[in-house]
Amino acid sequence: MIAAAITIWSIVATLALVVFRRQGRSGLAAAGTAAIDQGRALMIRLPLALLAASFLMQVLPVDALVGVIGPQSGLAGIAVAALIGGILPGGPMTSFPIALVILQGGAGLPQIVALITGWSVFALHRVLAYEAPIMGWRFVALRLAASLVLPLAAGLMAQALLPLVP
Amino acid sequence: MTFSRSDYVFLALAIGGGAACLRQGGLPLVAAGLAEAGWLLLIVLPQLAAGLLLGGLISRLVGREKVAALLGTKSGMKGLMLATAAGTITPGGPFTSFPIVHALWVAGADAGALIAYLTAWALIGLNRLIVWELPLMGAEFALVRTLVCLPLPIVAGLIARALVRSPVLALRKAPAE
Repeated sequence: MIAAAITIWSIVATLALVVFRRQGRSGLAAAGTAAIDQGRALMIRLPLALLAASFLMQVLPVDALVGVIGPQSGLAGIAVAALIGGILPGGPMTSFPIALVILQGGAGLPQIVALITGWSVFALHRVLAYEAPIMGWRFVALRLAASLVLPLAAGLMAQALLPLVP
Repeated sequence: MTFSRSDYVFLALAIGGGAACLRQGGLPLVAAGLAEAGWLLLIVLPQLAAGLLLGGLISRLVGREKVAALLGTKSGMKGLMLATAAGTITPGGPFTSFPIVHALWVAGADAGALIAYLTAWALIGLNRLIVWELPLMGAEFALVRTLVCLPLPIVAGLIARALVRSPVLALRKAPAE
């Protein structure tokens, strides 16, 4: 976690330097304003989302779920996990904490890979809120059809890859 | 500070979740949920601040028009690979990526490139990887998931190009600017 923090803040510093050299102080100020604008929208939503996710994690039947998508559940478990991922509502601030709890509860890693992949490509909430209004239903149908096999492929590849990871 | 519609959704979810905790385990379970949320917030906040700054800085360096110009007329495998790379480095939430996809569509990108872009952004986006997945899920999980998802945007783009030939899924013409 510390390594990740150092990495990302080094990237921030580097990019800030590049922006400063190309566009001077006004470029930096504009970047900061954009960041603050986006942050302001999250100021209420993020704590509420984390609270909602944490409460739901306390009452979700994680144990029952873990049995279905355990490390030995294979392709069936991967398919179920992909389906669960697809209907998980909300953004990364709710989905990753839920996935973490299920993983720590004893689910298989390939199954959680399928869950995260299913959530990433199907994301019901995102389709309704952004994709359909901006791109139209025809595009949504085409994209969903093209993405149908991706979570299964990711889960199966993770299963094959897992023994190679130290 | 104003409440948007999705804030109310999260508020309702939080209240509903809290009520479910109260019914199932009483006040101790509610307290456990609160503690968990506070802990998560502490982990996430520094990373989130960095992510937001990154988004602001990158938006100064690669403008929407530049991305559209890079992909608009390109096609073939090269187009899919470029779209995948662009999606991977696009920061921010759906409120930044979907306007870009729309601009690419208008600029003349084909369905395969659009879907490769969106799939890359959703699956292997660097911003989300650094801000959320690495700190929350750990390096091992993030590494395995990113590796197996790396080729998938191109796969989705190729499937989309095959599907789009059928009249049922054919994409309508891009709206004029």
